[in-house]
Amino acid sequence: MEIKFDRIASVMFLTIGVLFIIGSKNLSSSSYGSVVGPDIFPLILGGALVLLSIRLFYETFNAKSEGSKEKLQYKPFLIIFTATLVYILTLETVGYVITTFLFLFVCFQTMERSKWINSLIISASFSGLVYFLFVEVLKGTLPGWPIWF
Amino acid sequence: MSTLDYLFQGFGTALIWYNIIFAFVGVLIGTAVGVLPGIGPMSGVALLIPVTASITGGLPPEQAATSAIILLAGVYYGAMYGGSTTSILLNTPGESSSVVTTLDGYQMAKKGRAGSALSIAAIGSFVAGIVTLIALIALAKPLSEVALKFGPAEYFSLMLLGLGAVSGLAGKSVTKALIMTVCGLLLGTIGIDTVSGIARFTFEVPWLYQGIEFLTIAVGLFAVGEVFKTILEKEDEEVEMARITNMLPSKEEFKESAGPIARGSILGFFVGILPGAGATLASFFSYILEKKISKNPEKFGKGAIAGVAAPESANNAASGGAMIPLLTLGIPGSGTTAILMGALMMYNIQPGPLLFEDHPQVAWGLIASMFIGNLMLLILNLPLVKVFAKIIQTPKKYLIPMIIAISIFGVYAVQVSTNDLLLLLACGVLGYFFSKNDYPIAPLVLGLVLGPMIENNLRRALTISNGDYSVFLTRPISLAFLLITVLWLVVPFIMKRRGKDVVINIEG
Repeated sequence: MEIKFDRIASVMFLTIGVLFIIGSKNLSSSSYGSVVGPDIFPLILGGALVLLSIRLFYETFNAKSEGSKEKLQYKPFLIIFTATLVYILTLETVGYVITTFLFLFVCFQTMERSKWINSLIISASFSGLVYFLFVEVLKGTLPGWPIWF
Repeated sequence: MSTLDYLFQGFGTALIWYNIIFAFVGVLIGTAVGVLPGIGPMSGVALLIPVTASITGGLPPEQAATSAIILLAGVYYGAMYGGSTTSILLNTPGESSSVVTTLDGYQMAKKGRAGSALSIAAIGSFVAGIVTLIALIALAKPLSEVALKFGPAEYFSLMLLGLGAVSGLAGKSVTKALIMTVCGLLLGTIGIDTVSGIARFTFEVPWLYQGIEFLTIAVGLFAVGEVFKTILEKEDEEVEMARITNMLPSKEEFKESAGPIARGSILGFFVGILPGAGATLASFFSYILEKKISKNPEKFGKGAIAGVAAPESANNAASGGAMIPLLTLGIPGSGTTAILMGALMMYNIQPGPLLFEDHPQVAWGLIASMFIGNLMLLILNLPLVKVFAKIIQTPKKYLIPMIIAISIFGVYAVQVSTNDLLLLLACGVLGYFFSKNDYPIAPLVLGLVLGPMIENNLRRALTISNGDYSVFLTRPISLAFLLITVLWLVVPFIMKRRGKDVVINIEG
């Protein structure tokens, strides 16, 4: 698993390095009298990244695979990840209070399916309290309620 | 004005009522962060930056920066105190710098001496905190005066040294650490170039013009990544907590631990100053030292009080020592100090030699508040240690989603953009995979913070020398820095080749 990840990662880092080199080649080399323009630094770094990722790729051939496999909890992770994504995407339209409440409630229940009244109370008070403190007391900006309100 | 005058002024700042509250909240949260396994000082500080930024929003900029940094630094050294609690009581270190403490601390707790172990740890941390502060005060002025003489070439080499040192010591593979460093530096180039005003790698996306926000990356990689790890690798273990009986150590125990505390403080301080070597390494070294000079080394691992006193003093001393390069040179030596530096820069305050001249209020206020914070921690930790130990029983069920919610709230409150939230989520996933596969995250954040400064100094130096790259080698101080950088990267590599165990710094 680790070696496989390292190989994929080294190819990805190599690509990033090459892209940065191409990207900095396209920048104008100097905009004023100076000899060193905005392209030098990313160019050097891109080159360094390319070299390092080749070295990493080379290292994966010498590394020994570690056979430790642990069971990962994919299901709760995927639920929470999706919940977070939905939370982020709906935050500005539906508003902070409702989305946070729903997000927390879903996550609490995903972590452990029990005591839904407790989850309800905690998620409601968290979202309410944060909104109240930030918007009313500290006068910050948060999209509070749905925009169609 | 003399140093003492400045210090008194600093106390004036630190003793303003709201700054006392900030320091108190900081050390309180820090202790909690230290107690909770899963949240280290780095994610704790990163998570709190946006929260403090919104709380201090109503103050004038300089005072806001002072208050914010007082709170954030409190979290940093508070975590060093808190880490010992769970190491001793539960045999589970709350963060990496307390790993060594478990060796003897838990053994002591098993023998019913948990109380004295905890007290000695708290007292040792306090003594170390005070020792480092005095050293910090003594060294701050002279060091920043030396640093004022540095030109851009010296600065460039010095920052390279900082990056090289952190990469050389972080994680199992130097290659991976260097890759992360370069990635951080590259991320730092995205946005409008400050010198020429050209947009780089923005692809005409307006969101990218201001650059990648360090806060989003840090919170995502550290805090959210850590949370994802806890969800994916769920452990259901019921731990039994050792009972605390007698809090007061006996006279003999005091006598036995006085030496280790003193040595641990001094050693920790110097290890802390070194870039790259943080609290974890300091605690490790001091434990080895005590074992070596002890008259009966066989007692170590079976509940020797010196094995608690020395590492706990050392890790706290190191966290103070790490402040020196940050405040005087503007170069963070570890992940946590990099985050602190990023926080200062968010307030438009540039740490470095000019900090003591331009913003004495910030610098000396912070130093004075560390005195107060350490005192608070001592008072808090001795009687309330039982309460703190309870924090570990906070159900993960509630804690984990709340950390995600706080991260999202924090980033949105500062950035007000959904794009940043998406980046946060992506960084969380990346952070999990990176740390799982031994790609250290601290160098990336350090690179991101230092990147623009390195580039500016590089270009300034090259402009002065008319594009002649040898300027970095002909100036003696710059050459020395570069040589040390090379040595730092090469020596561990050679030692590894020879099959020696190289101590690595997990905390970064």
